[in-house]
Amino acid sequence: MPLPFKRVLVANRGEIAVRIVRACDALGLESVVAVSQADRDSLAARLATKSVCIGPSPSRESYLKPETLVTAAIGTGCQAVHPGYGFLSERAAFSRMCAENGLVFIGPSPEAIQSMGDKITAVQMAEQANVPRVPGSNKLESLEEAQREAMRIGYPVLFKASAGGGGRGMRLVEREADLVAAMKSAQSEAGAAFGDPTLYLEKYIRHARHIEIQILGDAHGNVVHLGERDCSVQRRYQKLIEESPSPVVDSGLRERLAGYAIALARRVDYQGAGTVEFVYDEDTREAYFLEMNTRIQVEHPVTEMVTGRDLVVEQIRIAAGKPLSFIQDEIALRGHAIECRINAEDPEHNFAPGPGHIRSWSTPVESHVRIDSHCFSGYFVPPYYDSLLAKVIVHGGDRREAIARMERALAQMEVTGVPTTLSFHRAVLAHADFRDGRVGTRWVEERFLDRRH
Amino acid sequence: MALTHDDVKNLISIIDSAEHLEEIELSWGDFQIHLWRNAGASRSTSANAPAPMPATPSVPSPASDRVAPSPAAPPHAVASPAAGLDLAPGEVAIRAPMLGTFYRAASPGDPPFVEVGQQVDAGDTVCLIEVMKLFNSIRAGVRGTVTRILHDNASLVEFDEPLLVIRTESTGAT
Repeated sequence: MPLPFKRVLVANRGEIAVRIVRACDALGLESVVAVSQADRDSLAARLATKSVCIGPSPSRESYLKPETLVTAAIGTGCQAVHPGYGFLSERAAFSRMCAENGLVFIGPSPEAIQSMGDKITAVQMAEQANVPRVPGSNKLESLEEAQREAMRIGYPVLFKASAGGGGRGMRLVEREADLVAAMKSAQSEAGAAFGDPTLYLEKYIRHARHIEIQILGDAHGNVVHLGERDCSVQRRYQKLIEESPSPVVDSGLRERLAGYAIALARRVDYQGAGTVEFVYDEDTREAYFLEMNTRIQVEHPVTEMVTGRDLVVEQIRIAAGKPLSFIQDEIALRGHAIECRINAEDPEHNFAPGPGHIRSWSTPVESHVRIDSHCFSGYFVPPYYDSLLAKVIVHGGDRREAIARMERALAQMEVTGVPTTLSFHRAVLAHADFRDGRVGTRWVEERFLDRRH
Repeated sequence: MALTHDDVKNLISIIDSAEHLEEIELSWGDFQIHLWRNAGASRSTSANAPAPMPATPSVPSPASDRVAPSPAAPPHAVASPAAGLDLAPGEVAIRAPMLGTFYRAASPGDPPFVEVGQQVDAGDTVCLIEVMKLFNSIRAGVRGTVTRILHDNASLVEFDEPLLVIRTESTGAT
């Protein structure tokens, strides 16, 4: 049965725009790529049926303008809009605006985006779906309450500022004797930073891993999971390497986390591709809900490699009202996949971004290796957007084989003209901690980078 | 104060050699110069500006030459909207400061703002661009005669696309 739309506006750029154009091709759909002035000659624009210039280079004047994108979609004869990741992908108002103008938004409903986008609502929904959250207190009214709550949660605990984030107003408390002093300094820091000294307590997870479950839901009430991804190799909350399956997740834990993810998805009547993120405590083997991302993720290819399913094609089919092309029992996780994000950043200089001209670009040609990228020799990496150049994804029969294949792929990749994080990835892949699967979310900053300097 | 050819060359070499400088905008009195380096071949004023400036005061930096795709690049399938527009001496193109729907009249029954051959002043509205019920008046920006209208009424125009051509008065042949 044909899809109810013929032409899709790609409201994004870079590698994900290329990825969406290819998914449209696979489905026999036409694609129109919305480009800023800097992206007029992008690879996605060249591969698409058509491109349309939506505005000047800075994102706020182009990729972040909902009205312009909707006008561009209608004006170029599109019936659907794929938002990719970032930019407008998780703006409920954009999803709603598409619907109001007769365009199919390839993603979940505005209500689902809204409820998962708001942290407090998301956590409440998770609790209603019986998904555990990081143990913590409500806003603290007094020192006595803080002492009582810390005892209940169990040391070590973390003070956090109710009004803000970014590490300010945060204090780690290892034992009860330090609680009073930590609370006072956290209060004054929070007051100075946010004008509100209110604090709350949270359990401190010393050995945390980032584990997320990929789900798909359709308009017919079907929700399936496609296993987990382990994204513990991060720097400043930016994921750098992702893999599936996780080296620390056994089938019991997988079923438990998948059950949580599906319950939450059902709770918000989720339609499309989504990811439920958890923080996993390696010491206690407990997992807690972090957030749900209501879009395709950068690291979706590792899931595609182990399941053999095309998530972007599935997103489009779901938006077209089709039932999922497979049921849960038909999804098998086969082998092991790893993704390295190659960014235009200099690992020797604190990962400073380095836009500019790519003089030469050569990527590995190997079986079991997939490169998702928008780059080529002569491409100008514009300074306006994120620094992602390519995702190198490999598949192997097991984790060891996948690591060996990634090492070979990275050895063959060569980029000149702009700095890249290739050397960083090669060093991580060679490190015993990574090879043994002993890497938590603070490993890059606290152990790997710290020891090298 | 007069701006010499060497002054312009100096400015170009500054932006061309600077590592982290993307654009320079200078204005004094009536004079304005705007230099930038990126892949786009030209640029108009920001989408929020009520009256777009014609492209004349801008001097494209030679830095933009360096972004030409190398022979290894995939074949170029995307035509810049400005491609194929030949301007006679004294002619300027009025470009779209935003993507939207091009309208030649204030409302369906009204006469068009301008016709080919019509004289316009810099402050005259020559067309509208609509972005989701928001109508932006596009002004001539220069005094002269309309020589070409490049789009049909109610068609989509891209950002920076030429809309109309005006032969300016100072250099015009008539």
